[in-house]
Amino acid sequence: MKSNKWRHLPAALLAVVFLLPLYFMLSGSLRQAGLPPPRTPELLPSPLAWGNYERAFELVDLPRYTLNSLFVVAFAVPLTLLTASWAGFAMARLSRRPAGALVALSLIALMVPLTALLVPRFTIFKELGLINTYVPLIAPAIMGTSPFYVLLFYWSFKRIPPELFETARLEGLGPLATWWRVAMPLVRPVTVAVAVLCFVFTWGNFLDPLIYLFDQEKFTVPLGLRALSTLDRTNFPLLLAGSVAATAPVILAFIYVQRYFLQEFRGAGWLGR
Amino acid sequence: MAELRFEGVRKDYGEVRALRGFDLEVADGEFLVLVGPSGCGKSTALRTAAGLEEVTEGSIHIGDRNVTDVRPAERNVSMVFQSYALFPHLSVEENIGFGLRARGVKAGRARVKVLEAAELVGCEKLLDRKPFQLSGGERQRVALARALVREPDVHLLDEPLSNLDAQLRVYMRAELKKLHQSVGATMVYVTHDQVEALTLGDRVAVLNQGILQQLGPPDDVYRRPANRFVAGFIGSPAMNFFPGERVDGSLHAGPFVFEGRPNLPERVEVGVRPEHIQVDEGDEGAPAEVQVVEMAGNETYLHLQADKSLVLARVGADVRPEVGSTVRIRANPADAYLFDAETGETLT
Repeated sequence: MKSNKWRHLPAALLAVVFLLPLYFMLSGSLRQAGLPPPRTPELLPSPLAWGNYERAFELVDLPRYTLNSLFVVAFAVPLTLLTASWAGFAMARLSRRPAGALVALSLIALMVPLTALLVPRFTIFKELGLINTYVPLIAPAIMGTSPFYVLLFYWSFKRIPPELFETARLEGLGPLATWWRVAMPLVRPVTVAVAVLCFVFTWGNFLDPLIYLFDQEKFTVPLGLRALSTLDRTNFPLLLAGSVAATAPVILAFIYVQRYFLQEFRGAGWLGR
Repeated sequence: MAELRFEGVRKDYGEVRALRGFDLEVADGEFLVLVGPSGCGKSTALRTAAGLEEVTEGSIHIGDRNVTDVRPAERNVSMVFQSYALFPHLSVEENIGFGLRARGVKAGRARVKVLEAAELVGCEKLLDRKPFQLSGGERQRVALARALVREPDVHLLDEPLSNLDAQLRVYMRAELKKLHQSVGATMVYVTHDQVEALTLGDRVAVLNQGILQQLGPPDDVYRRPANRFVAGFIGSPAMNFFPGERVDGSLHAGPFVFEGRPNLPERVEVGVRPEHIQVDEGDEGAPAEVQVVEMAGNETYLHLQADKSLVLARVGADVRPEVGSTVRIRANPADAYLFDAETGETLT
């Protein structure tokens, strides 16, 4: 029983390590405007300056940028889930040799730095006349956004006993129906994980909007934050207030979907084994 | 329901030949058991019948249809897997009705058929549960109900009792037999367990290395094995084999001497089942030293060293000689099986 009592301690300590920066961002956003960052950790500033949020929203059009980011995310995340899971499912249904080759190819693609693709990508989108649109921000989703997401799905589908797919085949389901009715419900936590990862990646993507978007009304949240820092470079509380506003949707989204990570139906016989 | 026929089926996995010229006819309404050791090709045969594997050569027929190139879903067969392959995210009812829904059967009609199938196998009280809430035996029933609900032409069962404990396996074996008697469907059952094969099958097909060794009623396969492989594989504990030697008109085989077996080929092998070896402490028979005594409840297995041969005898529970003691063993010539030492074929 003693071991049970302490078993969550390492996880709690790790959580604290990850939560502290968020906390200091929050507390920093409530310091008096214009003050430099504190020299020692400050748990709660006094007095609380809620006006930083009002000021940040006055200086830059954060609501519009948030809507723009949501627009991009609303296309990129579902599209990523669709293409990455299709690719992962197809790879999982291949025999060992071609599947192995595709896994190796995905790993190689994963090692290519995104910055190495900036110029060719820009050239392509420029040629297509898609600069200053959201298409370049959404287009990677057509390829699953990252080979890592494809591999996550591949490994998850590989864990499903092949007899389940064979049963579906015998019962008259085609590949698409099998993917939707058998495979996807069995990898729901992975789907949620990929959705969250893709959401975070797309939401926080700074480089692509910086390169492809010119009109201010098309800016996404990271560009809005940059604009905020440009307007008042040393006003850290103001900048942190903007950061809190930019981070909040991600945290809210995670809180909403975290229950799917913790699904309990994992007794003996789950996956038929 | 319909008959199932394999005609000269060959199946290669790269260099490995899983089935070689496999011919088999399963009659309409028959319960046929395919039995053999691991890797003998029995599951491959079943999977080719289901359409889950393409045949390299030959053809497969269900009723009067050549289904060799027909998609699995259009063959109208069902399959029960060793792992049951129940969909974990669906309830028992959804699992049973899965094929009906996939084929567009209306919800009301599907529900009636699901209930009928569930009642047939005795899982009608489990309809709202998920597979992980079921015991092994219950999952087995659900898998059977899912196979029955579509009323397919042929049921294919791939070692469906292997995951159950010994007691439940015996129970489910009887249930399966009853089920077949009540629905009268064509069933092909794959197992490596020869007890299952003998108790369940109307006929038993013994496979080894992708080749059909013998096909016949269980009693025939047990009493009149076609060759040394079948004789050694069917029967538990396995048959004893001794190299035979002709000496002055009699046949010497390990510790046994059988008189009056003329017209035998030069090299023969003699098989004697453990239950046909008589053990006593008198003066008749060959002396044998008791090495191991295994109590098996209602019988005893004796591992004996007779001259240079190791002999396994199955005797009554009350026969329990001391380890290290010497007993006498005999075998009736009528109980001795003779095989050609070259080909392994049974000699009559």
